[in-house]
Amino acid sequence: MDRILAQFFNAEVAAQYLPSMASGFAVTLGLAALIVVTGLSGGLALAVARTFQLRAVTFAIVAYADILRCLPPLTLMFMFYFAFPLAGISMSGMTAAWLALSLVLAAFSEEIFWTAFLSINKGQWEAARSTGLSFGQTISHVILPQAMRVAIPSLTNRTIAITKGVALASAVAVPEMLGEAIAATSYSSNSTPLLMAAAGYMIIFLPLAIFSRRLETRFRWN
Amino acid sequence: MLRAHAIWKSFDGIDVLKGVDLHVQERECVCILGPSGSGKSTMLRCLNRLEEPDSGEIYLDGQKVSGPSVDLNGLRQQLGMVFQSFNLYPHLNALGNVTLALRKVKKLARPEADEIAIKALDTVGLRHKADAMPATLSGGQQQRVAIARAIALNPKVMLFDEPTSALDPELVGSVISTMRDLRTEGMTMVVVTHELRFAREAADKVVFMADGVEVAKGPPPEIFDAPPHPRLAEFLQQVS
Repeated sequence: MDRILAQFFNAEVAAQYLPSMASGFAVTLGLAALIVVTGLSGGLALAVARTFQLRAVTFAIVAYADILRCLPPLTLMFMFYFAFPLAGISMSGMTAAWLALSLVLAAFSEEIFWTAFLSINKGQWEAARSTGLSFGQTISHVILPQAMRVAIPSLTNRTIAITKGVALASAVAVPEMLGEAIAATSYSSNSTPLLMAAAGYMIIFLPLAIFSRRLETRFRWN
Repeated sequence: MLRAHAIWKSFDGIDVLKGVDLHVQERECVCILGPSGSGKSTMLRCLNRLEEPDSGEIYLDGQKVSGPSVDLNGLRQQLGMVFQSFNLYPHLNALGNVTLALRKVKKLARPEADEIAIKALDTVGLRHKADAMPATLSGGQQQRVAIARAIALNPKVMLFDEPTSALDPELVGSVISTMRDLRTEGMTMVVVTHELRFAREAADKVVFMADGVEVAKGPPPEIFDAPPHPRLAEFLQQVS
């Protein structure tokens, strides 16, 4: 029992690495928040663009979504971080990670929003348009509130799954939480930092999961 | 008041409307009858351009409202529409259904919108259901809320697309009587319907359509008591 405590819950090690873990936590939290915002709004914008049913636009969006859903996010990060500079476009590891994961989340969430839009009866569009609501007003006041109810569970799953990919960003030199924890674990030959990282992930993602459950309840109108 | 001239419309190469005319005078109630597939609903939907006619012209109050460069959202506020399947917004209560366009399209403040909406719900006899969600209302009540949603915008013409076809027989009466009240108040109405009794009693003019053309039209006694066309006679025999 003492050995388990010493190996996993070592107060001395925890105190020693608390500063680097804390800064890793801040990096992961900040990056995750940014990715959720840009990824989900990107996905929503693409799904709305797709409702115009212009052949070329639809083709481009479908191609984008299919390709980005297949590529491992890490390859995108590498491409942005290592290959783009060769073409004269340099970016920090932070930007590369943010861009890669946002693009992937946008691809997945576009598909989720789109399916949710499709599930809304055509009569809802017609009723709204026949009272003079514009296309945009119909989307935001009639279609989206109903689509959200359908979309929220899968949207939460995807958001959590992809945002946890921030852990990959240490490969492009971002000092995020899990990377810091692994480094600290090998320096100290002690697993406490890993458990600290696990706690950090719970602090970031558990509220997200709970928030989405509350949203689900709010959108349950009958 | 509302005039459509030579409306053509085809879907996937099949002509659904083949040059249909329609004239509606102010305060007039025009009922459109016809077998399913005759194009009567499509005709109605062309009037507020939920369907875009392939050719033909539409005038509202002498103003051309067909063709490009027409403010469709403005046009649709003046042509209230009631659907077979009600199409209430399930996430909003009855009051919210009626006020949405008042607030977002007419840009009214909430108290004003509420006041107009309550009045409209009162007209259809559902003031007491203002807070009810659509799912808790019967079909007949839902359709009456849908009528309130349309009349709240104070349209020049009301378009009804088989408003009672999706209702259980015992609920048809309440919707029909609401429509009769509107008629009595002088609302201009175009009604696509299978309710022959309503057409006979409330219509000023009945139009009978079949296969995308107008086969016969006239005042109800002419249409019902002395059908001027064999196709119409056959139809009346089948439905009654």
